[in-house]
Amino acid sequence: MTSYPTRMGDGHAVEMSTDELRCDILAGTEDAADRGRIPALSQEEQDYLLDLFSYPGKIVGVQPGNEVVLTDDGSVNALYGAQSSSGVGVPLSRELAIRVYERAFCMDTMEVGHPDYSFKPVKPIVSLEQQCLESVLSSTIIPIYYGAMPNLALYAKPDGPFGNPADLLPQGKISEARAAQEEAAQALTRDMVYVGRKMAEVGADGFNFDTTASAGDAEFMATLQAVEELAKTTELSIEVGMAAEFVLGMHGQVTYDGVRLAGLYPHEQLKLVEKAGAHLFGPVVNTNTRRSSAWNVSRAVTFVKACSEAASIPIHANVGIGVGGVPMCETPPTSMVTRASVAMVEIARVDGL
Amino acid sequence: MGAGDPFGMPVSHALASGMGGIRTAGDLVARMQLHRKMRLPEAKRYVADRLKVAQSDLSDEVAMRELREELDLGVVTSMVGGAKALAAKARIGRLLDVRVPSVEILKQKIGVS
Amino acid sequence: MTENDILEAAKQAVVAADEEKAIEVARQAVALGLDPLRVINEGFTPGMRQVGDLFERGTMFLPEVIIASEAMVAAVAILEENLPAEQKEKQAGIAVLGTIEGDVHDIGKGIVATLMRVYGFKVHDLGRDVPLQRFVDEAKSSGAQLVGSSALMTTTMVGQKQLEKLLKEAGIREQVKTMVGGAVVTQYWADKIGADAYAENAQEAVAKALELVEG
Repeated sequence: MTSYPTRMGDGHAVEMSTDELRCDILAGTEDAADRGRIPALSQEEQDYLLDLFSYPGKIVGVQPGNEVVLTDDGSVNALYGAQSSSGVGVPLSRELAIRVYERAFCMDTMEVGHPDYSFKPVKPIVSLEQQCLESVLSSTIIPIYYGAMPNLALYAKPDGPFGNPADLLPQGKISEARAAQEEAAQALTRDMVYVGRKMAEVGADGFNFDTTASAGDAEFMATLQAVEELAKTTELSIEVGMAAEFVLGMHGQVTYDGVRLAGLYPHEQLKLVEKAGAHLFGPVVNTNTRRSSAWNVSRAVTFVKACSEAASIPIHANVGIGVGGVPMCETPPTSMVTRASVAMVEIARVDGL
Repeated sequence: MGAGDPFGMPVSHALASGMGGIRTAGDLVARMQLHRKMRLPEAKRYVADRLKVAQSDLSDEVAMRELREELDLGVVTSMVGGAKALAAKARIGRLLDVRVPSVEILKQKIGVS
Repeated sequence: MTENDILEAAKQAVVAADEEKAIEVARQAVALGLDPLRVINEGFTPGMRQVGDLFERGTMFLPEVIIASEAMVAAVAILEENLPAEQKEKQAGIAVLGTIEGDVHDIGKGIVATLMRVYGFKVHDLGRDVPLQRFVDEAKSSGAQLVGSSALMTTTMVGQKQLEKLLKEAGIREQVKTMVGGAVVTQYWADKIGADAYAENAQEAVAKALELVEG
């Protein structure tokens, strides 16, 4: 029986037969459909994925004419070395790194981001960040975002002044944990709006909220409120990228526009992001390291397709390490990255990555 | 896109499915998504109309390299005398009829409307 | 009410995070003379397992999980009063948990700690940014059967490998089982460093922890 070299979700090589690939593609899409209460991929779409994973070439590409826009988040630090961005140790300034990405890697947009990459630490050094952005804007052609993570956890003890839900919840102090998150969320919104306005002042094309809701539903609420304020009061193009496929219910009761935020899946998150006034949405689907790439890509594409179909703004799916069907390893195999890339474009019909 | 080493992540996506940035018309299509919330088909249609080319030309490296040079929109290879950085963005903004914030700030500073 | 009705009611009371109902069911079970251990194991515990599944799917949220666990704890306390003396003090095990030094990510590990407490573990949660030697010292002083470490960054996951070495050097590696987790951690990594288990999410971490301590 013919078998094909492929990868597991942790990046390790494995061989799978046609039947095994077909079964995993079906299981992946059914899992997404069940969890998200969305349609599974059609037989034709599953067959397309089977062709993709049994294609003998190492890398694959979209049909000419179907190319999409690439927005980049955080990679400005990846030439030098950010701990979570697989930096390769080339000691370039951020300004030079962005020019390399623009002119050598041919990115469609880029982002200035601080190595700490959270809004809270950016606030006290915002003028430094503004000057870096000014320098980049005066030497590049492509649209430039300023971006960072909302990271509500930095507002909880010991890093911030508010109670830590990770301490309060196990003690059964549920109302205290909820109140602490609500207070922290207000402080976070203030900081994000402050930084956003500062970046608008120096001419940023866009402002990116990256890994939104990493600390749960209260962080998502804080972000949506900041988006709403910045959309009303600045010319910034706003991107909201998520942290995970569903919003973690650390609070459980916070709402936006009357909708409870905890437990929302990408196609539901999108509607609130649109309502808040954002210009782009970046859905995330987590990779399961113990399932095959075929299973993970099929599952991720099912979620993102539902999101894309529901959208009135551009959808730029997250396809970095450990998300969007890409294996969870520091040097993601090009064979699987390109397959995830093509599946997102040709099946999920994303507007960008 | 997301995190990852430059070869494995952005370069792989750029080869598999990226528009090509200033090597083609990727930055122009991106601007329409960013500034006008246009979804991809609409953004491509808009840019193709403005450039008076077929949509399929937007990611054609050869066609767009020539057109960008002709319209002086900034090209990927180094070219003496060609529009660069803010000058290129100003020309792109005028071509697409979008406000490029950094160009607007420059205009204010030098008193040009 | 039959025994099966009681078991189902116990399960539903926990899933509904209804403490009053859970207590009422526990009292009914005692009044009917049912085996308290069976009611715990086949009624309340499956209920808590379902709570974990719902949490993992994003349809039940952490505060509700806590309330559900409190409902279970209150009901189990009533049933435990009627257990034979030798079973009363039984706990699932003692666990030391923490996020590796240099890593300030706390949320996932905090959820694991919470769920493990729910399932009867005595948890020594060392928090985040924990020096490796502290894991070893706490495991020794608490008599832990489990040492769990979390790492969210590729630069801190190497600490999990060093922790295995430190536990060996301290002469307690054979007495404890080790678990690793966190966004960048995989089964391959766990196998490579010689950890006893890896879990993809909090619910799985509890299931693996129970398997490890039950041998």
